[in-house]
Amino acid sequence: MRSNEGNFIRRLQRQKEDALEFIIDTYLPLIKGVTYKVLSPLGNDGIIEECINDIFLSIWHHADKFNGETADFRKWICAIAKFKAIDYYRKASKKMEFTAADVREARHGMSAEDELIMREDKRELVHFINLLEPVDRNIFVMKFFLGLNTEDICRKLGLTRASVDNRIYRGKKRLFNKVNSGGHV
Amino acid sequence: MKDIYELLNDMDIDESEFEEMEVSEWEKAKVTSVVKASIHRRKRNWTRIAAAAVLTAGLSAVMLGITFPAYANNIPVIDNIFRLLDSGKSGLFDHYKEYSSDINLTEESNGITFTINDAVFDGETVFITYSLVSNQDLGIKPVVHGLLDIKGTDGVAGGNQISKVGPNKYAGLITGTGFSNVKDKKTASVKWSIDSLVNPNNKQEITGNWDFALKVMATDSSTQTIDRSIQHNGAVVHIHKITFTPMSFILYYDQTVDQQVRSQWDAVDVGIKIKDDLGNHYTGQGNGGAGDKEGYNMNWSKTFEKLEPKATKLIITPQLSLYNHTSDNHGSVEMSRDGADEQIPLQREQGNEREEIELEDIIVELKK
Repeated sequence: MRSNEGNFIRRLQRQKEDALEFIIDTYLPLIKGVTYKVLSPLGNDGIIEECINDIFLSIWHHADKFNGETADFRKWICAIAKFKAIDYYRKASKKMEFTAADVREARHGMSAEDELIMREDKRELVHFINLLEPVDRNIFVMKFFLGLNTEDICRKLGLTRASVDNRIYRGKKRLFNKVNSGGHV
Repeated sequence: MKDIYELLNDMDIDESEFEEMEVSEWEKAKVTSVVKASIHRRKRNWTRIAAAAVLTAGLSAVMLGITFPAYANNIPVIDNIFRLLDSGKSGLFDHYKEYSSDINLTEESNGITFTINDAVFDGETVFITYSLVSNQDLGIKPVVHGLLDIKGTDGVAGGNQISKVGPNKYAGLITGTGFSNVKDKKTASVKWSIDSLVNPNNKQEITGNWDFALKVMATDSSTQTIDRSIQHNGAVVHIHKITFTPMSFILYYDQTVDQQVRSQWDAVDVGIKIKDDLGNHYTGQGNGGAGDKEGYNMNWSKTFEKLEPKATKLIITPQLSLYNHTSDNHGSVEMSRDGADEQIPLQREQGNEREEIELEDIIVELKK
């Protein structure tokens, strides 16, 4: 049996390799697009290649976490691609800011919580995000995993800039307390 | 607690933000092979089974009908490198992967490492995928000199396709169909001895010893006898039987040509087109054939894609091709074990003629 549009998600989740081939065949142009957009400023094709391979490997290993239809799958892997690409970008550039817009937000300060956000091991941050209420959770994922700037987040969530800034600020503060006191959040 | 992937699953991403980029088959093949290699970390134990040496006095390779129109999407392990070789994408090899076995035999000689990656035997033809890593560039399509032997056969016909997949890296597929009256259809004991590689760019030859011996078990199969003939002006096409394997079906047929046709034409061969009652067309790939020295009476086989399970009938259209030899369209080389290649001179020269005749359909009810 071969994977097709109708069965590839199920086959991928059952770890059938033909499904892996199918998604590479179908989605590589998209994944390459996402990755290039983020990583091309580095001028290093090797990193782009490595990142693309890593994205597909992650999709393979975490296929069981996906829930939804084909259209959702497309969104999901775009999100993974963007998250991975940004991660690679940060590691490669060793810069603390993600986009120009973040420079303006430097008033929040780059401190212990930012370091935690930048850390390669995302477990603590993921754990923390899980404790946030849904809206804040979305903001944090968009901001720190998907590298969206504040304007985009406002538009997507229908919130004002002040509100988003405020939520990020409060979130970071909670994170700061968590990191520094080791205590409760 | 949700992990990153679950959190990302909850996100409603705006896709219009993302633009697709152009990707070559080559890139797809590369990504697939790297990702798969990361997945396959498990080690395998390999027993090398030495097959007894098979000596056939003369090895006649009948290459008619072997044009490699299409290469596998799905030939094992380095399958996407095969997708790279597949320009036509007929899907002939779509299902081979599921039924093949990993081989992973490696031989190193004179700075070149040869690896047999995978093999599959459908009872008729052995398909072997290989890769090679060289310490020097061998051009775009190096020529591999080495004969494939199948134990117990009188001769092997086949083809070899190779492609550059990276700096000093190559991947290929060699196929071999053995000819014999008493052929073992259950296992194929294959010997492949490669003695040199030639870089087509500068004609440089690298000699070495890369000797492989492996045994490949045939996939399951069932056979339906057809035994139907069709005649056209002294040429008879006889459809003998069809063998169904999980990934393909193989049509066996023969041709006989009478004296009258022989006096008119230097060569006759039969091509086969197949479709089913649901309208699916099967492209197939000829396996070559064996027969008399003149090539008029021949036994052929041709391998087609996996049969659509819902099909109940096959419509077989034989196509007769008649040729007269000219120096443009004909030439042959006799190869023998002692290594001397002899060019066979063209016997006679006539007009540059060719005729193709489509014969009547033979409709076969499939037994289920």
